[in-house]
Amino acid sequence: MTAAVVPFLESMREAAAQARLPGSGLAWLDAARDEAMRAFTEDGLPDQRNELWKYTSLRALARHGFAARDDEAATRGVDIDRLLLPGVDGPCAVFVNGAFRADLSSFEELPQGVRVRSLADALRDDAEPLRFLLAGRAGDDDDGFMLLNRALAADGLLVDVAGGVRAGVPLHVVHAGVAARAATAWHLRSLIELGEGARLDIVEHHVDDAGTGHLANLVCDVNVHERARLDWTIVQRAGEDATLLRRCQVRLHDEAALDLHELELGGKLARHELRVDLAGERSRFDQRGAFALHGRRHVDMEVLVTHRGRDSVSDAIWRGVAGGRARGVVHGRILVQSGADGADGSFYNKNLLLSPDAEIDTRPALEIYADEVKANHGATVGQIDEGMLFYLRSRGVPLDLARHMLVRAFCAVALDGIQPAALREHCEALLAEQLPELAE
Amino acid sequence: MMATQPDELQAALSRRYDAGFVTDIEAFSLPPGLDEDTIHALSALKEEPEWMTDWRLQAYRRWLKMAPPAWAHLKLAPIDFQAISYYSAPKNRPKSLDEVDPKLLEAYDKLGVPLHERARLAGVAVDAVFDSVSVANTARDQLAKVGVIFCSMSEAIREHGDLVREYLGSVVPQGDNYFAALNSAVFSDGSFVFIPEGVRCPMELSTYFRINAGHTGQFERTLIIAEAGSMVSYLEGCTAPMRDDNQLHAAVVELVALERANIKYSTVQNWYPGDENGKGGIYNFVTKRGECRGDDSRISWTQVETGSAITWKYPSCVLRGDRSVGEFHSVALTHHHQQADTGTKMVHIGRDTKSKIVSKGISAGRSQNSYRGLVKVGKDAVNARNHTRCDSILIGKQCGSHTFPYVEVKNPTAIVEHEASTSKISDDQLFYCRSRGIGEEDAVSMIVDGFCKQVFRELPMEFAVEAKKLLEVSLEGAIG
Repeated sequence: MTAAVVPFLESMREAAAQARLPGSGLAWLDAARDEAMRAFTEDGLPDQRNELWKYTSLRALARHGFAARDDEAATRGVDIDRLLLPGVDGPCAVFVNGAFRADLSSFEELPQGVRVRSLADALRDDAEPLRFLLAGRAGDDDDGFMLLNRALAADGLLVDVAGGVRAGVPLHVVHAGVAARAATAWHLRSLIELGEGARLDIVEHHVDDAGTGHLANLVCDVNVHERARLDWTIVQRAGEDATLLRRCQVRLHDEAALDLHELELGGKLARHELRVDLAGERSRFDQRGAFALHGRRHVDMEVLVTHRGRDSVSDAIWRGVAGGRARGVVHGRILVQSGADGADGSFYNKNLLLSPDAEIDTRPALEIYADEVKANHGATVGQIDEGMLFYLRSRGVPLDLARHMLVRAFCAVALDGIQPAALREHCEALLAEQLPELAE
Repeated sequence: MMATQPDELQAALSRRYDAGFVTDIEAFSLPPGLDEDTIHALSALKEEPEWMTDWRLQAYRRWLKMAPPAWAHLKLAPIDFQAISYYSAPKNRPKSLDEVDPKLLEAYDKLGVPLHERARLAGVAVDAVFDSVSVANTARDQLAKVGVIFCSMSEAIREHGDLVREYLGSVVPQGDNYFAALNSAVFSDGSFVFIPEGVRCPMELSTYFRINAGHTGQFERTLIIAEAGSMVSYLEGCTAPMRDDNQLHAAVVELVALERANIKYSTVQNWYPGDENGKGGIYNFVTKRGECRGDDSRISWTQVETGSAITWKYPSCVLRGDRSVGEFHSVALTHHHQQADTGTKMVHIGRDTKSKIVSKGISAGRSQNSYRGLVKVGKDAVNARNHTRCDSILIGKQCGSHTFPYVEVKNPTAIVEHEASTSKISDDQLFYCRSRGIGEEDAVSMIVDGFCKQVFRELPMEFAVEAKKLLEVSLEGAIG
């Protein structure tokens, strides 16, 4: 640990000392939280020698302290219409500055068999069933933020879809950061469980235009049982001073499927560490993602796919666009374990660099321990094709518009599959909004 | 796919290491162990000037403060650096080729090194490094006529001290990495090549490295300087006898290409890989780096890696000059318990620089074969271009094949492309060959040969033949 970590570390220690977290008083939970805090105090924040943090420095973050909570989070007035995405007007779960807001959320339209609760509520009612989640042994790959989450998670979302139930309407999950007295850190732990043959659509929206420089540390476990299917769309619009750290651990059982769409537009630092365990036979993971960054934004997408089941399939495509002084980091690792015969993994990442001060670091990796496999990856970094630009201009399209058209076309593969159409169009519009700034 | 392996295939699989003989030559060795006295003794034995001794000591002191790298995808026991002898030389140093110990010549004969007469016939000048010292150097006169210096590193330090002093460590600094620091402290010999301005080296230059004595490490240092407008092709081959303990090889190769110079560096590495149970074999930790210092210069690395228990090697190009070009062509084959973590780094600094990477990995048995590469485009590297292609074939259920590329781009005019695939030998291709009456063995051999062709094409002819043969022998029966 270095001296530079102190302000951040101190603020987290204070948070742990004064926290009256839901579930406090339960011996097993207190022990797990203490243990995690101790481990964090020892390890500190991950540094760039950690391969998963190679291109993301936390030195600047370490110099900041954060308030442990926003005491008014439960009552702050927010413009809910601005937080909701078009095309998903059904059930929604809203978190404001890390606190679940029952007054803004509604689950009435969810069919029977779909249960959605906040972690805080669940801990108050009956904590025992959550013991496996919250008191599980720390893993070797738990980094500092995972440990902090174990120590300090005060809330989160628990979604449980019973076997055979098809949710029918998408569940909208909103994480909003709004202005508060001080930059605040919150830690949320969520669990999404889909029973056999269940189906669920989730649309997740991250929005933070507080200007206060909050830090959100979100950890989500997802368990998709046999033949179940989760369709998940993530739209991330954190402000240019917000730090958003997400870790998502997905386990797919036999013939289970996860279809993930992701549009990442913001963040002083926005990181998503996605770990997908294709544990079951014929399980399948599809991902289409795009990021478009300007200003000094920094996005770090870690996609770590492990094939364990036979004939499991992973197919990920990422598109990245960076302008201004932005930095985009993509790491896609496909690990095929011995015995995962018939595995088919692919990861493709193409990037456009639009300004002399922007940077792209891309790192696809294959680790293969079985021979009956197909595994491919590819990565490119380039700029807008002059030939295409010339073609459009020669047909009377102004330069700016031609560039916009080409960037949109470049990202199209990531957005095309988003459902419903209204949401897709909204995502395209969000991307289009970025374009003038990207070129700067 | 066949369910079982016929006996003859098994037999071929468990082939012996052809270059694994020990040559009984009287050798003088320093006792095992490493401290400042060892370095003084080594330096004194080699009659080195004081600056060289100081340089070694400086490197040694840096090495003491460093830790062995742990990031590679390799499993190995810690190396006991005190158990290694840092100098071993055949006694009776020869004055000319005629005085070279016939047993030694025989050894090289067995290896197929075109030394002596064969060298001249083949038009190859050979510098052979046996254990730690250079024992023979052919065709010097002919080279001297055009001003080319090709000699052992020890001789270069004595005779061409200014040149060595100017360039040694300028591409791979002493503290570059753990093994480079160790090499800088204890390097025993190696080759030195200087091609003067405008000279096209009239023949291929070649070095053959062999570790003979037990409990010795080989730490050779090669330095090639190509002045403006010159051109040279350099070949390197390596073998070692079969021994049950692991031997260390930690070499450093530095290439400097000035304006319009062209250096082509080819390696066929066939160090003893250990037996089928993973016992013995060479630990090969090599730092190879070339710097395209001048505009329009070009450095090309070609390697065929079939030997060594552990290979840790990343021949790299620093493309400093404008319009300079770097290339890396590699075939890495691992079998039994071999582990390879190899690849390249292309660092684009100058304008309009280009690099190309072609890597072919073949893993069989219980081996682990990793490609690790970095393509870095600096802020000022306007119009940099890179194309990388990494393909891997897996033969068998217990081996692993991995690809770890790193792409870092800081200039918006760069175009960088990386593509990789991993699969087993395609059933369709095998079926096609088999249906035309080609035996399974030959079919695999043909397919692998085709798989590697892009790299073999880059090798000088006599090396290409050797490389092809090596692969065939290594792969026979590896299918199952």
